[in-house]
Amino acid sequence: MPRQIAIYGKGGIGKSSTASNVAAACADEGYRVTIIGCDPKSDSSITLLNGRRIPTIMDLMRQGVDIKEDDIVFNGYKGVKCVEIGGPEPGIGCAGRGIIVAINLLRKLSKALEEADLVIYDVPGDIVCGGFVAPVKKGLVSETYVLTSGEYMPLYAANNICKGLSRLDVKFSGVICNSRGAPNEENIVNEFAKEIGSQLLAFIPKDVIVQNCEREGYSVIEKAPDSGIADVYRKLARRIMADKETHIPKSLDDARLRELTQI
Amino acid sequence: MPVIQKEPMILHPRPSSIVAALYTLRDLETDVVILHGPPGCSFKHARLLEEDGMRVVTTSLDESGFVFGGMDALVNVLETVIERFNPKRIGIVGTCASMIIGEELHEAVNRVQPDVPVIEVEVHAGYRDNTQGVIIALESALAAGIIDEAEFERQKILLKEATMVEKRHGAASKDYLEPSRGDLKYKVAERIIQLLKEGKRGINILNAKKETAYMFADINLAVVQVAEKLGVGSNIVNMANLDEKLGLPKTRRDARNINEDLKGLGIEMHHIIGGLDEYPIAGNNVNELIAEKYSDFDFAVITGVPHALPMDNIKDMELFSITNGPRQVAPLKDMGHDHVVVELDLHPKTLGVNHIVESELGATLREMVKDA
Repeated sequence: MPRQIAIYGKGGIGKSSTASNVAAACADEGYRVTIIGCDPKSDSSITLLNGRRIPTIMDLMRQGVDIKEDDIVFNGYKGVKCVEIGGPEPGIGCAGRGIIVAINLLRKLSKALEEADLVIYDVPGDIVCGGFVAPVKKGLVSETYVLTSGEYMPLYAANNICKGLSRLDVKFSGVICNSRGAPNEENIVNEFAKEIGSQLLAFIPKDVIVQNCEREGYSVIEKAPDSGIADVYRKLARRIMADKETHIPKSLDDARLRELTQI
Repeated sequence: MPVIQKEPMILHPRPSSIVAALYTLRDLETDVVILHGPPGCSFKHARLLEEDGMRVVTTSLDESGFVFGGMDALVNVLETVIERFNPKRIGIVGTCASMIIGEELHEAVNRVQPDVPVIEVEVHAGYRDNTQGVIIALESALAAGIIDEAEFERQKILLKEATMVEKRHGAASKDYLEPSRGDLKYKVAERIIQLLKEGKRGINILNAKKETAYMFADINLAVVQVAEKLGVGSNIVNMANLDEKLGLPKTRRDARNINEDLKGLGIEMHHIIGGLDEYPIAGNNVNELIAEKYSDFDFAVITGVPHALPMDNIKDMELFSITNGPRQVAPLKDMGHDHVVVELDLHPKTLGVNHIVESELGATLREMVKDA
């Protein structure tokens, strides 16, 4: 049984960067990794594929072709299996239903969800409807992580996600801080993690190397393996693969959250 | 980018996968089915199925259910059903609305933990072939240990064939089929009687889908009775897909009931061509039998699913086909069937029965030779 994880967090906070670097770092260690991009923007795997955009499951569905495994599962950096679900054009149809259909199809067509050591679901920032938690509800995600910075809004989103996860009865494995350079950031996120009954697993400093690598279509692990930030991702990856401790998260009330983020 | 259709669009409404799942659950002897969706979904069939002794209830999802989800409602209905009806077997069936918003039927089962088997059918009505509803229901029944792998595989083959039959010559054969009442029963009965009086020999075939045989068999019965009345009973050969040993429990029971009725009336069944769920393939047996023994017969009366019969060995006979689908008239005429009769609203009259039900064509035939 592979580790099946999902990384949640406010939109734009760096979930895809974190997911792809963790995937690459785990692949370096010899793990078989699958990454499923569940965001209609379909940008989860791009840095594992040298900047290449792969056709999404939704693209192929729209074309009405018979879909085979080879059409939707692509080998990326060191054999990481990459899948992008994609979605309808913004403002049209139902992206949530798209995720449900795609997940069902993927389960039927491919062993990539089972024959792996780690399956990462890169989910959109906002769980706007039932479809966006399909991987969780269908029992394909067994543990969740939340990514946040130390600012109020990302923490507010993280806190809301914890609320949602506890309602869904989903196991929670920890908080990851993707720094935006806010003052006292590590302490704030550390305190948040403690108060929701969890732990801070990694503090990823803001580093322009990440941006530079991504612009060229690579993960830090691949393009700048000797950088300090690559080391941070590697440590996080090891922590994820080693950690077995999960629990149902608590959430804070808004007043406490505001107080916590007061500098 | 436009969405490209895999197959050409069909304009006329066709059978629903949700309804197909409901009928399958009935065949699997489910006591109560919960439709997780709006109160009006599949109303007409839900009501009809009660005639067959299966309760159908709904979670009555409304606008706020669509927005906020309906899991609490489903849990509540499941608990109520268990308490009030004490079922031995429960079904939960999805609908378009609940499936689009991502409701997980299993979540309710997990929360309630019933002591009896629950068949969860994640189905909506958006499948091109309604047989998909049957397959999903059977997959779930297989997972729940209610049917075995062999029966599942057998059913899957039959359903695939049934889908092909509809694509070749049935409701899915054209982009639009005009509904029709078919030929006048009086005229058709008159022609059958005329042929019998002329001493012509006929093959009398029942190839019906499941319980519809309760009424279609009445037409085959009437043909024999009329022939006997006219003193030419031996000119008729009877074939029927009434094998009592094939199919899900209800299907077998239906075959047994009809056989007993026919036997009780002294009807001799010359050939059993398959089970009541084998209407898509039983025609192949008919085809072979005719080639072997009856190729020189003059006419054939085919009731049920006449369009599933290969035309190879019957094309030179005068063909009388009886269907219950108004949209089946045009495809049958196109195939070369000379007379096509529609028994309108046949299906509803065959629910909740365990004896042969009188048909209009059967009654017409009998009436016309009453004083002969």
